[in-house]
Amino acid sequence: MSEENTKTIIETETAAPSPKKKKRIESNWITKSICLIVALALAAVAGKSFYDQRHFKETVVSAPGLTEIKYLSDYVPALKGTYGDTPIFVYDSGVEGGSVLYCGGTHPYEPATSLSAYIMMENIEVTKGKVYIMPQANYSGTTLGIMGNAYPKDFDIETEWGKATYKIGDRTSNPLDQWPDNFTYIHYPSKQSQAYNDLRNLNRCFPGRLDGTFTERVAYAIMELIRNENIDMAIDSHEASIMYPVVGVYVAHNDAMDIAMMAAMDLTSTTFDMKIEQSPGSLKGFSHREWGDYSDTLAVLMETPEPFIDRIVGPMTRDLMLTGQDLFLSFAGKKGLTYVPYELETGWPMEVRVGRHLSSAERLIYYMNMFFPEKEVQATWPGYNELVEKGCGAFLHNPEEADPELVFKV
Amino acid sequence: MTYTIPQIVVIIIAMVLTFILSSRKFKSTELSMALAGVTAVFFTAYSGWTDEPIRILVEGLFTNMDLAMTFIFATLFIQIYSHSGAMTAVTRGIISKFNSKWAVMACMAVLMLIPGAITGAGSVSVFVMGGMTYSIVRSMGVSEKKATAFVFIFAILSAAAPPINLWTMLMTAQANMPYVGFELLLLLPILITGAFTIIYLGWGAKRRPKEEILAELPEVSEKMQGKGGMVRILLPLVALALMIVLTLVAPFQMPVLGLPLMFVICAVIALICDPNKMGFKGFYKLVDEVMEQVFPLAATVLSVGVLQNAMAASGVKGAIGTAFVLLPFVWIYALILIVAPFAQGCMSYGSAIVIGTPLIFMFNTAGMNTTVVCAAMSLMFPIGDCLPPSRITGRLTCETTNYQGSYMSFLKQVFLPCLVLGLLALLMLIKPAWFRYLI
Repeated sequence: MSEENTKTIIETETAAPSPKKKKRIESNWITKSICLIVALALAAVAGKSFYDQRHFKETVVSAPGLTEIKYLSDYVPALKGTYGDTPIFVYDSGVEGGSVLYCGGTHPYEPATSLSAYIMMENIEVTKGKVYIMPQANYSGTTLGIMGNAYPKDFDIETEWGKATYKIGDRTSNPLDQWPDNFTYIHYPSKQSQAYNDLRNLNRCFPGRLDGTFTERVAYAIMELIRNENIDMAIDSHEASIMYPVVGVYVAHNDAMDIAMMAAMDLTSTTFDMKIEQSPGSLKGFSHREWGDYSDTLAVLMETPEPFIDRIVGPMTRDLMLTGQDLFLSFAGKKGLTYVPYELETGWPMEVRVGRHLSSAERLIYYMNMFFPEKEVQATWPGYNELVEKGCGAFLHNPEEADPELVFKV
Repeated sequence: MTYTIPQIVVIIIAMVLTFILSSRKFKSTELSMALAGVTAVFFTAYSGWTDEPIRILVEGLFTNMDLAMTFIFATLFIQIYSHSGAMTAVTRGIISKFNSKWAVMACMAVLMLIPGAITGAGSVSVFVMGGMTYSIVRSMGVSEKKATAFVFIFAILSAAAPPINLWTMLMTAQANMPYVGFELLLLLPILITGAFTIIYLGWGAKRRPKEEILAELPEVSEKMQGKGGMVRILLPLVALALMIVLTLVAPFQMPVLGLPLMFVICAVIALICDPNKMGFKGFYKLVDEVMEQVFPLAATVLSVGVLQNAMAASGVKGAIGTAFVLLPFVWIYALILIVAPFAQGCMSYGSAIVIGTPLIFMFNTAGMNTTVVCAAMSLMFPIGDCLPPSRITGRLTCETTNYQGSYMSFLKQVFLPCLVLGLLALLMLIKPAWFRYLI
């Protein structure tokens, strides 16, 4: 601000408002009052919607094999009572074997990940080893949508007994839980500079810090879970835009490359196309990199195609989230700009995406068992073909008719 | 699929009409942008694409809330700092020390580059250095229009300069590329454009005698002179620099403050250092005036957020992106220097995500070096910071320098340096292989 401007301001301050200005202010008070009332009314209506999303809990009916519920706060007590605390459902067969962690909701705007975790929970049967399922890894991120992207706050899955509602969240933690952002984010411990808003992106904050930001503490708690429970294989499920090269793919840590490669070949030859990439050493903060580097687990990240989060799609609707059908994207598909096949008629429906995750996880465990028999885990849940045939709703149970002890609000 | 192209076209036309009509009626860009957003959301709800139109509007308001807060507190800081007479003292000091016009302009250019380069925001450069730079460049005989253009060009160059380039960071984050290897790629075109700008704007300006300039500047109070004065002048700026540098070099020891709080802290320090004590009443009036002054700008960035959210909800954002990325490469090369800056004018940093990220993937498919491509586009987007509807940095610059000419005359003045920057960036985009050695 120039000195002259400042001088003018100070001079203006000391003088009384001109009569003309005073008259104008007085004559506008009605307009201003109306504006204020309208603003308050808009804030109340929108506030109700924000409040609902912040406090909405998704319902899941667990399969009978549930043996324990842990929370991230068991590993980092500072998270207790915060929106960073989230449950981990443990299915222990009682038979000695390995252990697997399945994560959904690391990015809560990729809801096929959480839904696949719920369907896994509702239908799982473990006969050897342990399976840990964390449906909402970044719970805070489920409590709002991405500002500037106008996401609907939820979507429904039709079932025989009615609708099951699930949230569409943000990519990052809610600013209500972690604010402000710095002008840049510097990853711990590598000191790599990243985009400022990745400070709240769980999948850029691994391995995390106990005395770090809210999201870094969540990341640290997940690392502690993996280390303390001796998780043999940790699977982080994601969704990706179809104009993004890393889609329909496993991204595996060096130690898990053989397993992921075999699983990708198997899936591609029998069920659906699945690519494989090795986790690049230069990308810091990702689960596929840091989980493997900072623990003994075999870390694999999976991406399914989610047209909803592509940059060049039409209106942001629940229909787009569920069907993945979009006209603009079909033009991109015809021009060969998408990294998975794209047809307007088929899109990428939710059941296909959920099914891919379920079968992809199952194949990873299958090949882990082959490579490391001492870590064997035997577990079953519905796979891709069943999901595509019957839809997601067929595998969700009615909470009204279920054993109340197996009904959970997440 | 629940929409058709004619539906989206109707919404775009309705938005444009709303913007034009409300601009004429209310003479307010920020209100017109918000109303254009309301129109888009109305059509979105009417078409059955959302059942929460009000949420979309209110959510949009929060999209750029941090930016608005930065503007408010930076203005407060700089007004308090100016009130102390520090700006005058620094201006007098620089004019007294340097005898060459070119040396002064080069010195001010470097000083302008620093705040934006380390925060990623050109507006911070304008707030912290803009007023002082304008006064000093003016005293070198540079016209009001050219001095304003000088401030703007170096503000956008500072935003594009390493180490923090937000457009690059957002694109690399979306594309999962490491933010590595961009320093020279960004710096070289900025240095070339900066040198050109100094010569272009300084050419023909005749510096008046030093004594004459100093005589015209307000006197500095005794308390702002000597060692004590130096402390009063430097302490607020050193505090700001220290917080920013510590954030970068000791990120795990430094708490996350965010720019708004950093400016609040500096404002408090500046208040303590101010020898002209203003008292509570004076402070209240200063804050009141600052709010009145910064309100249109804050309203602009909030309205841009509403517009962004409305464009996403209605599919207009997708339509703009689709129309551009589906073009053949030759057309992309031909139009990118128009589309990228105007996308910045419409969507602010959202332009990098909507236009930039798909293009990175496209150029990657064509086997081109994506680091160079990303850097090239990161140099194009800042140009749009003077373009409507938002024209955030352009407007801020004109307000800071109290520029009395028309906005169009300002645009004409900045055109050539912007073109130089744009052409350098375009060359990088067309021939990325030529620039690989800079990675």
